[in-house]
Amino acid sequence: MSARIPVEQARRWLFGGRVQGVGFRPFVYRTAHRYRVRGWVRNLAGQVEVVAQGGPDTLLRFGEALLLDAPPLARPAKLADSLLPPQALNGFAIVDSRATGPVHVAVPPDYFACDECVAEMRDPANRRHRYPFINCTQCGPRYTLMRRVPYDRANTTMAGFALCPRCRAEYTNPLDRRFHAEPVACPVCGPRLAFEAGSSRRLVGEAALDACVSALAAGQVVAVKGIGGYHLMCDAASSAAVGTLRARKRRPHKPLAVMFPRDAGLAAVQRTAHLDDVHRAMLLDPMRPIVLLRTREDAAIAPEVAPGCSEVGAMLPYSPLHHLLLEGFGAPLVATSGNLTGEPVLTDNAEATARLAHVADAFLHHDRPIARPADDPVYRVVAGVARPLRIGRGNAPLEIDLPFTLSRPVLALGGHLKNTVALGWERRAIVSPHLGDMEAPRSLALLEQVTADLQELYGVRAERIVCDAHPGYATTRLAARQPLPVSSVFHHHAHASALAGEYPQDGDWLVFTWDGAGFGEDGTLWGGEALFGRPGAWRRVGSLRSFALPGGERAAREPWRSALALCWESGRHWDDGPVDVTLLRSAWERGVNCPRTSSAGRLFDAAAAFLGLASQATFEAQAPMALEAAATGDAPAIALPLHERDGVRCSDWAPLLDHLLEAGREVRERASAFHATLARVVLDQARAVRAAFGVSRIGLTGGVFQNRVLCEDIVRLAQGEGFAVFIPERVPCNDAGLSFGQLVEAGARS
Amino acid sequence: VIDGRHVTLAHGNGGRFMRELIEEVFVRHLANPELDTRTDAAHVPLPPGEVLVTTDGFTVQPLEFPGGDIGSLAVHGTVNDLAVSGAVPAYLSLSAFIEEGLEFAQLDRLVASMAQAAQACGVRVVAGDTKVVRRGEGGGVYFATTGVGIRRQGLRLGLDRVRAGDAILASGPVGDHGTAVLLAREQFGLRGDLSSDAASVLPLTGALLAMRGLRFMRDPTRGGLATVANEIARATGLCVRLHGPAIPIRPPVLSVCEMLGFDPLYLACEGRVVAVVAPEDADAALEAWRALPDGRDAARIGVVQDGRPHVVLETELGGERGLEELEDDPLPRIC
Repeated sequence: MSARIPVEQARRWLFGGRVQGVGFRPFVYRTAHRYRVRGWVRNLAGQVEVVAQGGPDTLLRFGEALLLDAPPLARPAKLADSLLPPQALNGFAIVDSRATGPVHVAVPPDYFACDECVAEMRDPANRRHRYPFINCTQCGPRYTLMRRVPYDRANTTMAGFALCPRCRAEYTNPLDRRFHAEPVACPVCGPRLAFEAGSSRRLVGEAALDACVSALAAGQVVAVKGIGGYHLMCDAASSAAVGTLRARKRRPHKPLAVMFPRDAGLAAVQRTAHLDDVHRAMLLDPMRPIVLLRTREDAAIAPEVAPGCSEVGAMLPYSPLHHLLLEGFGAPLVATSGNLTGEPVLTDNAEATARLAHVADAFLHHDRPIARPADDPVYRVVAGVARPLRIGRGNAPLEIDLPFTLSRPVLALGGHLKNTVALGWERRAIVSPHLGDMEAPRSLALLEQVTADLQELYGVRAERIVCDAHPGYATTRLAARQPLPVSSVFHHHAHASALAGEYPQDGDWLVFTWDGAGFGEDGTLWGGEALFGRPGAWRRVGSLRSFALPGGERAAREPWRSALALCWESGRHWDDGPVDVTLLRSAWERGVNCPRTSSAGRLFDAAAAFLGLASQATFEAQAPMALEAAATGDAPAIALPLHERDGVRCSDWAPLLDHLLEAGREVRERASAFHATLARVVLDQARAVRAAFGVSRIGLTGGVFQNRVLCEDIVRLAQGEGFAVFIPERVPCNDAGLSFGQLVEAGARS
Repeated sequence: VIDGRHVTLAHGNGGRFMRELIEEVFVRHLANPELDTRTDAAHVPLPPGEVLVTTDGFTVQPLEFPGGDIGSLAVHGTVNDLAVSGAVPAYLSLSAFIEEGLEFAQLDRLVASMAQAAQACGVRVVAGDTKVVRRGEGGGVYFATTGVGIRRQGLRLGLDRVRAGDAILASGPVGDHGTAVLLAREQFGLRGDLSSDAASVLPLTGALLAMRGLRFMRDPTRGGLATVANEIARATGLCVRLHGPAIPIRPPVLSVCEMLGFDPLYLACEGRVVAVVAPEDADAALEAWRALPDGRDAARIGVVQDGRPHVVLETELGGERGLEELEDDPLPRIC
């Protein structure tokens, strides 16, 4: 008996994941030629289908190569691999897309300019020499470019630019790097720069770039249109220029991001900040985020860039235009979002011109429209891992696998400040980029646009809505206006579920959800809670002593209110507050607009006020950031009493006040003692809960845990006692993570 | 205990005490030709025009506050509702719910104040009723007034007449009444520079009634200016854009609100008018208001625009904030 081995086989593969807009089909085509297999490849409603025929071994190696050698931006996932009867196939072809069948789309984020494109841009012989919109299948804008699916040029903001013959030749040649690079462009047929300054003559192209560099060199503020919106740029080394930008933008203190020239070994960054390998890798990550770095004493940037902060937000040029600008200017540039506080970054030329007129001396526009805004993502290294503070251009839309299957598509509207939305269906969750503060009508309008866009792009229609439990959030009201069933999730439950959703595993968690404030189960403002359980079943087991916050919402911008509140609550005196608080004291005694809160964030505010670091705050978290920056000493923790009542272990901050109010002690020592004490609170509560429930897996989330000193103190203490500590690393631990947490919570309940 | 100085349950039982209470307090102050306590219903002659009727209840605490009291408020509140509807008030009815234990002297002051306000507004109280409720079941005294007014035949005012492009005017500073009453209620200590704006708005509304471009008027009482703006947006389906720096707010009001964490745009006024007028008549309307003692600080504060029906406040810094409908018990969102 002899086995009949067929000389040839035919196989079919189906690839999902990120295979669209990343040059995957041309790659399959080239690979097929390399392995000399015959067949075809085509788009199939967001997936890619490959059929090839050849020797069995060759086919196996071909199939492996499709996964292993995929282009850097592609993330193919093999969904199917099966044998077909041999067919009559000649050559290998890229065949037309088929739009039928179930849609499985992955909307790509915006990619940084790849090395090959940057090299071409620098090559005087190349026809795209110094062309600021050069791109290929491996780089360039995507999310901010796509108007609708499928991802074809006609459905992008490049639709208005007709391809010149040479670009068309590249675009239609399967062996070219620009085969179906939808935003492909060149100086002949593509977008152009335009420089405008007051009533001076409008300059275009290279002259516009030169004029922009000259304006920056002269200390001016220039609004520069980039990938996901406008930046306000100025010379980062010039105190005068940075001061002008701050005064005009009415942003006295909030740190400004800086874009550094891209040079060998990141030398320019290194002259300004301390870098370790994690920082270096993050700066060079394809998303090219802003990374918070510890500033050097001898940094060559103006102190006004990040006053009172020991860190600077650094990023590398990510678009060809940024490369040209930074090369032309030759030194770091402030690159902060071109917007008004709390609003989305501006993207439209006319609107930017009108609304930034009082801020910018000049504008560097271009005529490639931006379909929707995306701010730069922000990362901070905490406990050795880069963790997001903001999702945006480069990593949005952010896709996360859900640890369960949703029965119906769900839209989660998130919270109020620094908000995002999330769309979930089946086992997929998509988180939007940063949308801004929802009390700004433009941010809310953007949320509605992005909500519609995400559903359109992914071909999914939400059938239910999840929102926060706070009745006053604009997103809660928006939810109520939709013709869909709405369920609400408590703020801190959403925080805890976001963390649990990021690290799916069986069993219970103990999650510390510490932040400014959120609507709690008992109708008070929570903010220092420890939750035990799992998504869909959280139970408060730890908290902080609550206090009445005089003046309610105003306390968020006036840390002295928290300081007074703690003193009044515990019968202590503090003389450094505002002069006349008689009226406020009366209101506090009668409970007029003095909501009770167990907020950990307000404790940080109070401590910063006691230490004279911040009694007013012009941006969220200013006081806690100042306190963290001051915590450079080494100080022991103060032991705080822990009382259990109704199953909640409550830590009393009162003894900490006496320490903070000792004016004789050094600020850095008191700031350090504060951090050490709060780390101790986490450990004490964790021990008590472990004794009761046996849980040893703890999570830290909520805006307070953006604090590196606190997190690292806790990790050190907790690991020493056998706890495993988890801190979010894919979704921000601040309120930008609420939308994802709401999805997880809603999914776990259904 | 009937000690002669306080209202007792006996003053509500239909007997002699009640008759004396009505005659010695209410009739004494409110007497007029159409008020006849012996009949069950008043017969009133009406001048020509359209008849408008409105009703309102008054429960303010404390009963007396800087700039006004519940007596005058019971007149002004109902008169103002007629006034902003374009009517001239003619008659009022009055129901008084008196809590056992209220001092006669205070009741007398309140009714006297009511009578004075009615006289100043040219309105007569023609029907009334008193009830006495048990101690603890009422806040001293509550009043309910119903007003009848006459509007010129053919005068049309209403939210259905508002168009995109119309200007929004305020007759004066906002938040005074709410702030003054809050301070008085919580006994935060009196401040000489803060008093209620409670007053009749008849002169203000009268000054605009002849204007062709007058679309709509309202007195921003409970919920303040922000609530009126939301009502306009909701009823018209248009966007209401308020220009923050243009909205008149008196410095002491602002300072108290900043200290206590209140938003003056949500605090009640009792003597102001918000008017929506065609853009071409806005300047004339402002001029007419500014010529009046209560309209000196009148200002053009916003505009009605096409767009999603919501209220946008432009802030001093060029930013924008959504002014949402008032919550029952607003909880901080951002701290």
